[in-house]
Order: sequence, then structure tokens, then C-alpha cells
Amino acid sequence: MKAPPLIPRATVRAFAVVCVALAVLPLLDVSIYTHNLLTRSYILIAGALAWNWMGGFVGQVSFGHAAMFGIGGFVAGRLALELQLPWPVCWLAGALIAGGFALGAHPLLRLRGPYFSIATIGVGEASRVVFTYWERFTGGASGMSLPIDGTFKYQLYWWALGLAAAVAAASVVLRRSSFGLKLLAIKSDADAAADVGISATLYQDLIFVLSGAVVGLTGAISASYYSFLEPSDTFGFERSIGFVLMAVIGGVGTALGPALGAVVFVLVQTYLLASYPQFHLGIYGVLLILIILFEPLGLTGLGRRVARLARRRAPAEQVSRPAAR
Amino acid sequence: MRPLDLISFARLGDLAVSAVLLAGLYATMAYGLGLIYGVLRVVNLAHGGVIMAGAYIGWAMFDRLGIDPYLSIPVVMVVSFALGVAMYQGLVRRLPRGAAGGPASLLLLFGVWLVLRNIAYLVFTGNDRTIRTAYSSRSLAILGSHVSLTRLVVLGLGLAIAIGLHLLLRRTLIGRAIRAVAQNADSCTLVGIDVERIYTLTFGIGTALAGVAGVLLATIFSFSPASGSSELLRSFVVVVLGGLGSVFGVVIAALIVATAEVFAVLILPSYLTSAVGFLLLVLVLVLRPGGLFGQRVLA
Amino acid sequence: MLCAGVNAMTYRTCSTPCYLLVALVALSAAACKPKAAPAGDRTEILIGGTLPLTGGEARIGGFFKEGYDLALEEVTKAGGLEVGGKKLPVKLMLLDDTTNQATAVSLADKLINSDKVDFFLGTYSTALVEAQTTVAEQNKVPYVNGGGAASQIYKRGFKYIFGTLAPVDLLGTTLMTWIDEQQKAGAVPKPAKIALLWENTSHGKDFRKGVSEFASKSAGAYEIAVDESFELNGKDFSALLGKVKAAGTDLFLVDAHLPDYITMHRQYLDAALCHKIMSYGARGSEKAAIDALGRDNVDYVLSGVWWNAQLAATNPIAKKFVEAFKAKYAGRSPEWFQALGYETVRALFVAIQQAGSLDREAVRAKLAALKIDSLLPGGTLDFPADKGGQVQAPFVVQQNLPAADAPIIFPKAVANATGVAPNPHCK
Repeated sequence: MKAPPLIPRATVRAFAVVCVALAVLPLLDVSIYTHNLLTRSYILIAGALAWNWMGGFVGQVSFGHAAMFGIGGFVAGRLALELQLPWPVCWLAGALIAGGFALGAHPLLRLRGPYFSIATIGVGEASRVVFTYWERFTGGASGMSLPIDGTFKYQLYWWALGLAAAVAAASVVLRRSSFGLKLLAIKSDADAAADVGISATLYQDLIFVLSGAVVGLTGAISASYYSFLEPSDTFGFERSIGFVLMAVIGGVGTALGPALGAVVFVLVQTYLLASYPQFHLGIYGVLLILIILFEPLGLTGLGRRVARLARRRAPAEQVSRPAAR
Repeated sequence: MRPLDLISFARLGDLAVSAVLLAGLYATMAYGLGLIYGVLRVVNLAHGGVIMAGAYIGWAMFDRLGIDPYLSIPVVMVVSFALGVAMYQGLVRRLPRGAAGGPASLLLLFGVWLVLRNIAYLVFTGNDRTIRTAYSSRSLAILGSHVSLTRLVVLGLGLAIAIGLHLLLRRTLIGRAIRAVAQNADSCTLVGIDVERIYTLTFGIGTALAGVAGVLLATIFSFSPASGSSELLRSFVVVVLGGLGSVFGVVIAALIVATAEVFAVLILPSYLTSAVGFLLLVLVLVLRPGGLFGQRVLA
Repeated sequence: MLCAGVNAMTYRTCSTPCYLLVALVALSAAACKPKAAPAGDRTEILIGGTLPLTGGEARIGGFFKEGYDLALEEVTKAGGLEVGGKKLPVKLMLLDDTTNQATAVSLADKLINSDKVDFFLGTYSTALVEAQTTVAEQNKVPYVNGGGAASQIYKRGFKYIFGTLAPVDLLGTTLMTWIDEQQKAGAVPKPAKIALLWENTSHGKDFRKGVSEFASKSAGAYEIAVDESFELNGKDFSALLGKVKAAGTDLFLVDAHLPDYITMHRQYLDAALCHKIMSYGARGSEKAAIDALGRDNVDYVLSGVWWNAQLAATNPIAKKFVEAFKAKYAGRSPEWFQALGYETVRALFVAIQQAGSLDREAVRAKLAALKIDSLLPGGTLDFPADKGGQVQAPFVVQQNLPAADAPIIFPKAVANATGVAPNPHCK
């Protein structure tokens, strides 16, 4: 008997349909506002999913991912500005160096739980200070201004969509593969995992580098989108928290939950801020509290509960009817 | 660079005095965080928010009722204690303790911080505030350098709190119960200690200390609803450096961090000295995760 | 572990992707707002804008809003702006960007592309303006702002961006010009050693640029002995001030936000420092600063500001503004934030009225050619093209004097007192 495929055919088909639909969307009469909104969302989706590889799959919650975002952004921007390399090349370079930074943070990986998180805060804040000081690289407090290219910004939609799709696919595959299982083992009990031959450091390094590289890539694409980067904003604590919020709201540890969280995040930022700006902090806070206390898997968990309830009711009716006769 | 030319004995003395005063500040900020983590193994990410809340309560009492900030300390302590008890009973209690609750407790308390910040914006608006009394600008001449009165008071109170905490933990029954729970919560139930009550109490004391730190900071600096992050981060550095639960460890650690930051100006550009604390934090975590004083339980 | 894996593989996977699809569709649907009615049927003028009403710059954002509200009130009382032969009311859609760059950009995008505003009022704080202007420029929307002072915002060759806030380097230069007069009069030694401390933001960098360029062009009359930046919201400046003390400087020039000004000056006084001339950039005479530090402790501190209420004595438009402001806001006197907010909106209104239409190109052209009497120092407002559309109005220098309440001491044309140097408190 053939083993079931890693990912059910139906899911692959659904995924392909969604991607094609989104790719075609701008060609229909859609406003430039929606176009830009979706572009920004794709960038955030990719970032949140990549963060989740570290924070959700391995269970090492990082409050310092902005460091890699910023490095990716500034490397890409600096290369584009000084060497006039085409953007995709710059992005790649940004991703590689951000991944390298994550590799350099290797010593942090032997810390567990809150210690790791606190250390990432330290690294994130130290990076912010150092990079704001490093004028030659980031432009210092003035930031880095990049030339605007309207047509390319329009095309960013498809680049960002491609990235988001790739990262989403990778998340699902990762979650279900044996690699994902090993990560789950490390997350549950690193020592026990080591006993069965799963080297915590090797796998964590790998995921950290991948996560960092992808987040760096999102930073690089953001640089092309905003045409202006400023270190205290790019490397700021608020940005690091953004990754955490998106993943938690969507469902930390699930395969695609953070993508949902990113979408909700964008919706909240766009519509809530317009109507109730004075409550936006409180709303995030209450959301976090409710999620942590009642549904640790965030919106995904909520959705699963609803789905389970719906399924349970259907067969129950079939069973009770014969009995009632 | 030529800073080494500028070193003179008097200058080093000035720096040393600054370092000691700054250490008093850092220690005062860090006690609450350290106590809560030492006993509950929960990192109170709302610590900065409670400090900010304490600052506002003290400021409100000064601004609206004319009560001197130092006199309002008892009130702030009580209110912050109540806040901590509410936070624990309502929220933190429902989390698993220790490593299992790690990220969850971080995020939960971060959520509480966001809510506190929003409430502050709504009630007090985003304007910067500071408490200015008749003696705010007075300074004393000590050992050749001038020392701000308000900073001296913070130093004094910081030490007093350390001694008070130490006595509480060592000499009182409650204190012994707290230490026992920190050591081994399960065994405590066996000997009849109501662990949940101790946790509630400890959390409350932790937030009370944070609130007091807030009032004291308000007499020196200006603050706004957005404050709290740098206080939180500095407290982290001190608590991690000082090791879990050692009260005097916090004092020594505060001294080390403050000295490093102040004397770093001799070799680093002033702007980069703000990164010194964070680098220390990372170094200590990586090299000695148990802090400089080891993973000792409250002593 | 293996069983859990098998279960995971057979677990229904549709839940998250389904929600994701639904959410993305919802996003797109929500974003696809109906297009605005064509220009012919316009019943009002839509002006969009964002300000930091919460977050780090909430205080100043609120002040700018006061200026906006006053200008809007005046136009509403007049029945609106004359466009296409009739008077149309003005509607301001102002959103809170929470002092966050990405939010400022996305809200600008929303206002311009979804709510279809005609024109845009910029936000406050250089970084936010610099990020937001790219949206306005790309969409060819006239963008007038009173919140971005760094000259680099206007060095990008943008055509639709206009700034009513003069560049901060000019602040440094203006201060140095007055100081130079004192040096020529013998009140300050020659050469004079300067301690230059600046917050590490683009505001601070520009201030530093203004001062250091003046010093380098002075053929040795000024030497910058200490040149250090510091992080915002510092807890302790005593080490830095120790450096200043050790260097034996004559002039103390700092650029800082209000909280740092308060902290640093308290420690400055503690350290018994005294300089012949001291300045904290744009701070010093702000009411909030005086409240926090005490009047006597800020004596002789110089400050350079974009505008001050005392200009009402020499400038009729300023006078009208001050009176209107006091009437609306319970007798409170305006500071530069409200004045600049007011003037920014007024400049846009005048341009719209001059163009007589809501056509963006027409209004842009009028803004570029604008030259009107203004409450700004110097009395005129125009957006010179060679400076990228940033006004170059002079700064006014004030000094806290024990007898008077921070009078203007420079430039002479608007001064109502003479500045005092060197600081009498220093031996």
C-alpha cells in the first residue's frame, strides 16, 4: 500500500488555485490602494511565517527579529544605491547577510525559554543602537533614501506574492516532514530529543538561519517598497513585537496560522486605526491576553474548534435518529 | 581617541559617584522583576507598565492633591500591590509555571502592558510629565562633586528596600514561606503552605516595588505613557546579571551595570554606551545563564 | 512521537488555508471601495492628513492638530473655499499614525487611493514625513507639511512636496550668527571652544551640521572641542557632562527633545557647570521646560524656534493668529507647533483659492509659485524650488531673561530685547 502523500492532493490544488487567483487579481479592475495593501500583506505574511519557524516550530520565541529585517533591508538598499545592482540581486544579498547574522547569533541557541527571549531582546536593542550609529551603512539617524521607481513598485506585488507563497508552502511542508517532527521533538524536550540522536544545536541553527534569511528578505523587499529606511524604525522593538503579535494572533506553532495573523494585523492597522485610534494598543493587548488564556493557538485554534463542533453535530444527529426510533 | 588624556583623579571620582547614583536607580527598578521571577519563574513583561503606572499615580496625587511624591509612596505601594494581585489572580494564575509557561507568560504580560499603556493615554494624554517639587533641583556637595538630592534619595531608598526585602525574606514567617515556595513549590503543599496565596502575595509585592520605583523615577525624569521599555530592559540586565532571587545580587549587579555604562564613556562614543547594558546582558546569558551569582534560590 | 506524526498527516488541513483565503478575499473586498464621484458633482473639498496623536510624538501631534482645527474653523466660518465659481466646504480627514512610519505610509495610501482625498497635509517628525512623501509624490498629490524639517526630505527632486518648516541646520547657523556678534563685541573669547551635544536623530544631526559648518568657515574663531551624540530618553548624562567639563569649553550647544533637556539640564546644574552661552536647540523657553526645571534654573538659556507668539508685536498676521488662538483655546498662548500647523493649512487653502479649482496640477503650480504674507519670521512664505520646496524662513532666537519672559533677541528686526552674554552666573 502506498504511503499517504506528505500533503493531500486537495490541499495542493486549493493552494494553487488561491495563488493563481491572487496573481490574476491586479489585472482585473482593482484600485491601486488594494494592490498596495495586498503587497504589504504578502510581505508581512512571509515575515510572520518565517518568524514562526523559530518561535512556533522550535519554540524559541524571538523578540529580536527586527535585527535581521533591518540588516536585509539596509544591505539591499545600500547595494542598490551604491552599486546600482538590480533589486532581486540586492534582495538575495540582504537575505544572505541576514542569515549570516542569525548564524552569528549561534551562542544564543543554547538558551532555553524565557532566557532565549530576553537574550533576543538584548541583541535586537543592541543592534538598533549600533546600526543607528553606523552612519556609513545605514545613513545613521537620517536613514537611507532610495530612488522611487513606480513601475517596479507595482511589480513588487508579484514578487511579494511569490515570496509569500513560497514561504507558506515551505511552512506546510516543513511542518509535516520528518524535519518538522524533529523540530517538534526539540521543542517538547530538547534533552530527550538529543537522547534519540536529534542534535538540537544543528537543527536550531538551520531553522534560525532560514528564518533570519527570509525575514531579511522581507526587509529587503520592504526597502524597495517604501523607498526609505530609518534604523530606529527598522530595527525597533515595535517591529520585533509585530512579528510576535502576528504569529500569536494567527496561531503560533501551526503551519499557516501566522499568515492569518498577518492578514488580521493589516486589517486592524488599516481599519481600526482609522476609526478607533485611541484604542488600538488596548485592543492588541486584550487580544493577546484572551488568546494566551483561552486559545493558545489563536485564530487557527478557534477555527479548528468551530470546525470540530460542526463535524461533531452532523454524525451525532445520524446516531440519535435511529436510537430515537 | 584622546579621552585618556582627560582622566584625572577628580574626574574618576565624579564618574564613580555618578555610577553609584545610577546603580541606586537601576537596583530600585529591578527588585520587583527579580522577586517575581525568582519565586514564580515568570518574567513580568508588564514590569515597565507598572513602573509607568506608579509614576502616573504619584504624579496625579502631586498635581491634583498637592501631595509630596515621597509621602505618596505608601499609597502607590498599596495601589500597585492591588494591581499585581489582580493581575495574578485574574491572569497569571491560569498559566503553567516555569519553562512550560515561558513564552505564554511573556506574551500575556506584554498584553497587560499594552492595556496599561492605552489606559494611560486615555486618562492622561500623551504629554510628558514630571514631578517637580521645591527641592527637585537641589544638590549636595559630596566628596567634591555635586549630587542631586532626588537621586540621592532614590539611592537611599533603593538600599532601604534591599535591606527591607532581605529582612522580610529572612526573618519573617511569610518570607520563609516565600523562599520555600521558590525552592520547591510541590513540597510546600505537603507541609501545609498555601502556595497560591504565596504566589499572589509575591506577585503583589513585586508590582508594589515596581510602582514605588515609578514614583521615584518620576521625581527625576519625565515620563509619558510610552515610557517603561528602557526601564524594563535595564531591569532585565540587572536581574539576569544578579542571578535569580538574590536581593543583594541585584544590588551588586546594578552597580556593575551602572559602572560599565558610566565608565564606558572613556572608551566609547557617548551614544554607544547605551548599548553596553544590552551587550552585557547577552554576554552574561551566554556565558553564565545562571547569572554572576549562580542559580541560587532567594537568599 | 511517530503516531503523533501520522495523526498530524491525516489531520484535516483545510481549516487554515480556508480561513486564509476567506481573509484575503475579505481584505480585497473591503479595500475595493466605490470610486468617488467625478469632479463636476463635488460638494466638498476633501483634504487628507495624518498626525502622531499617540506614540512618542503625541504631545506635538496634538499641538499641530490645534493649529489645523483653528484654520479649518476660520475657513468654515467664511463658508468654505471658492472653487470653480462657488464656495465649497472643506472636510479634513485626519488620522492617527501613532508615530509609526509604516502606519503613516499605509494611512496616506488609504486616504489618497481609497478615500480619494484631493490634497494631503503631512505628518509630524522628519522620519515619518520622509517615508510618507514617497506616497504623495508617486500619486502626484500636493503634499504640504509643517512637520519635516530635515533638508534631505527636499533633496530628492520631488515636485509635489512643500514644507513650511525651515531646515534645522538653519537653526544652528542662526544661533552661531548671534554668538558671532557676541564674539565680535568681545563678550565671548576668541577662539571659543564649543561643546556640541546632539540627540542621535536627523534633527540633531542637522543641528550639528549647522553649527559645525559655521565653525569650520569661521577661520579658527570657533573650535568644537566636544562633539558627541546621545541616545533619546537617557537616564544619565553625567559622564557625558563630565567630558564637557574636562574639556574646558566656553559654549554649550545641545539639541535635545524635552525629556532629555530636562534630565540633562538637571544634571548640568548638579555638576555646577556654567557656560558663557548655553542653548538646547529649540528647547529652553517652552513652558513645559520652565515648569519642570524652575524659572531660575533656565536663566540665560538660548533657544532657536521656528516661531514665537511675541512676533505678534511686529507681524500683523501673527497678531491675528495669536488672538484667534487665545479666543478658541481659553486664553492659552500658542507655541511654534500650533502656528506652523495653522500656517501649513492656510498655505494650502490659499493655493486652492488661487487656483480656483481642485485640479491637483493647478494647485501644485500655485504652491510652487506661492508668495504670501505670513506669520513666519521674515514675514513671507514661499517654497523656493532650488531648496526643493522647503521654506527658508529665518529662526528667531529667544533667551530666558530673569526680568522678562524669554524675549526675542535676534534677528534685530523682530527683537524686543537685547541678549545677554556672557552668562552672568558664571564668575
